[in-house]
Parts: sequence; structure tokens; C-alpha cells
Amino acid sequence: MRWFRFALLILAVTVLQKGLLARWSSKPDLLVILLVFFAIYNNTSDAIISSFTIGFAADLVGSPMPMGPQMISFGLFGTLLAYLHRVIAIKRMPYQALAIFVTSILTGFLTHLLAYITKGEPVAANIYAVVFLTSLYSSIVGPFLFLPSAWWMRIKINRFGRR
Amino acid sequence: MARKRKKVSRRMLFTWFTLTGCIFLFAPQNLTSKFQLAFVHVFRWPLTIGGNLVMTAQTQQPLAGAVSRSETQYLNYIANLEETLAQERKKFKKLYELYNTHVWEGTDYALADVITATVDGSGNELTIDCRKTTGMAKGQFVLGDESIIGMISDVFPQISKATVDLVTDPKSRMPVKIAEFKSIMKGSGNNSAKIEMVKNKVEVGENVFALKKPGFLDAPMVVGKVSECNRNQKNPSLWDITVVPACNIEQLEDVAVIIMNPQK
Repeated sequence: MRWFRFALLILAVTVLQKGLLARWSSKPDLLVILLVFFAIYNNTSDAIISSFTIGFAADLVGSPMPMGPQMISFGLFGTLLAYLHRVIAIKRMPYQALAIFVTSILTGFLTHLLAYITKGEPVAANIYAVVFLTSLYSSIVGPFLFLPSAWWMRIKINRFGRR
Repeated sequence: MARKRKKVSRRMLFTWFTLTGCIFLFAPQNLTSKFQLAFVHVFRWPLTIGGNLVMTAQTQQPLAGAVSRSETQYLNYIANLEETLAQERKKFKKLYELYNTHVWEGTDYALADVITATVDGSGNELTIDCRKTTGMAKGQFVLGDESIIGMISDVFPQISKATVDLVTDPKSRMPVKIAEFKSIMKGSGNNSAKIEMVKNKVEVGENVFALKKPGFLDAPMVVGKVSECNRNQKNPSLWDITVVPACNIEQLEDVAVIIMNPQK
């Protein structure tokens, strides 16, 4: 794992998410897309570290949400996905889209649940729609962002070959 | 000398990172929010550019005629000067209008630029860059286009930054006056707020005013307009009112913080 490149990528995506995409009411979650990317294309130890790091980055730009819930939920589901990938290969684009969709839904709900339980953060009335739409957009955009991410991280991805 | 690489098991990695997450989760929010503000402060330049790009994309641009390079340079120079003058005039006009409203005598205003605006369904917040943070405190009202848009939720004077919880944020609770009755307006997240269980029907388009709050707001100010008035699902004799902000929050570039009884 090239950690310097990883840090630059996460930083760029975090700034993009908070600066460019924050003013749109419906948008993909680029950090979730990266979470799935690193969980699929890294060994399990690196996937655990990257999942929690991406969660921390999401917490940094997650204001007005408190810090912590995203780090835990990203870390938990990133780790689970990395272990799942050892059993089921997630190589083809539709499977990757499905993985992003499910991971985004799960992290979204766990984040809001943790914030609600620990900090008493009120949950928006339309939270189901928001999480669903974000997951949908992420799953549509995500698989196409895997190629540039892999190029930047110098990871070879083979979408059609066997494991 | 060869170094021995210590191998950490996956289980340990997961445990340590989860513990770190729990520490952040259970740490006081006024402490952890400083991290979030510090991030915005460090990366304010790319964040502002990103925000401006979105606003530019959302605004129709007139086509410019083709001119030579030196002429373009000169025109740009003049345009920059005019723009600076216009900005200063705008700022002066804004402050003049604010200071010359008799109920606001003795009130101070802190003008601030919007760095980031988060307006998704789960949370609605602005991060603002204030040149003057003296007298700024949590709970102060924030004006955008002459209407209340939210309240200060956190101030970080060391880096001149503050966060604003918008009236549409699910955390927001604001006493308001609509027509002749008073109620509590709750943010609902999707760029709107709700006033529930109201006895009388209200006309769509009616103004909603934030009530006076001693030490923070000396006179009622417009906060939004009624966009819908529907019967309450549980009790059909009562009405639920949907309120939209009086200004387009997504397009705001600067705001003013109302500072009552400023220290001289």
C-alpha cells in the first residue's frame, strides 16, 4: 500500500466533498466509494486501516454531525467488506455498485443511529430518503471512479478475470 | 542495524481504531468540533473555490465578446477595481441599513464570508469566516439577505471561524410568530422547517417572524415564508405548516451576525 498517495487521495476527495459537493442537496458520497475501493483492492490489514482513516476524514467534514460515528461505522463495515471479499470476489461493475449501495446504506444508518444514541442528535424526517438517494448516486458513480483511483494508487484491477 | 518490524494483528488494529472512534464519539462535542473547524480553516482556500464553482455553475453567465490580450488585461483591471468598489459600497450599504434601524440602536454586526454551506437533508450548517469575532457567542442570530437564517453554534476565535446552525437543521428550535399566534418552529432538514399542531389555517406566502429574545434579538425579524399548510395526520382539526427560508441559503456568499450590547 502506498500510504503517501493514499493520504493525498483522501485529502483531495475530502476537500472536494466538503467544498464542491456540500452545496448540492443530493450527491454521491465519494468517501464511501473509496471505502469500498480500498476494502476490495487491498489486503485485510490495509483495508482495516484505510476504512478507519476514511471514516475519520468523513467525520472531519461531517459537521454538523459530531465526530466519531462515521469513523466507527466506516471502520466496521469496511472491515466486514474486506473479510467478505476474501470469500466472494467483488470484481464486476454491477457487484461493485451493489457493494457501494449496501455499504453506503449501512454506514449512513449506523452513523445516524450512533449520533442519536450517544449525543441525542435529532434525526431529520427525510433521513431515509437522503441516505437512499446518496447510496443510489454513489453506486452509480462509484464503479467508474475505481479506475482513476486504481491508476493513482498503482493498483492493478482486473474486472473480468478470475481471482 | 536491521530493524525488526513489529507485526500487529488485525484484531488489535480493529480494536485500537474502534477505541479511537469511541474516544471521539464520547468526547465533548465543543472539543471535537474544533477539529472540524480547524480542517475548514486549513483548507479554506480550496473549499471556497469549490463553493464558488458550484455557485457559478448554478448562475447563468453572459457571453463575453472576443478582445485582444492587452485590452482584456486592461478590462479585467477595470472590472476588478469596479468590483472592489461595488463590494465596498455593498458592504457599506448593508451596514448603513442595519445600523439605521431604530430598534437596533447600539447593536453591532459582524460581517462574515461563507466558506462552506452544508445543505443536505441530514444537516444544515454554514461555516463562516469572520474578520471580527469580538463579542461573538453561541446562540447569536445570523442574518442573510436581511432575514434570520440561523444561530451561531460554535465560535473559534483563534482562527476567526464560526459555525451556524441553520433554521432548517433538525436540531433547530426557534420561537416564531405567524399571523397572530406564537409557536415553535422545528427544522426538518430538507431546506424547510415545520410548525406543527396549529389551530388556525394560515395562507401560503405568509411571513414567519423570529420572536424577540432578550440579549440576542430586540425586535421580531422575518425568518421564512409559509409554503404549505396541511391538516395534521393524527388530529385533522389542527394544521401543520411548512416554512421555507426567506432567502436562498445555498447562494449566500456573506452573512451578518447580530451582536447585542457589544463591548466598547
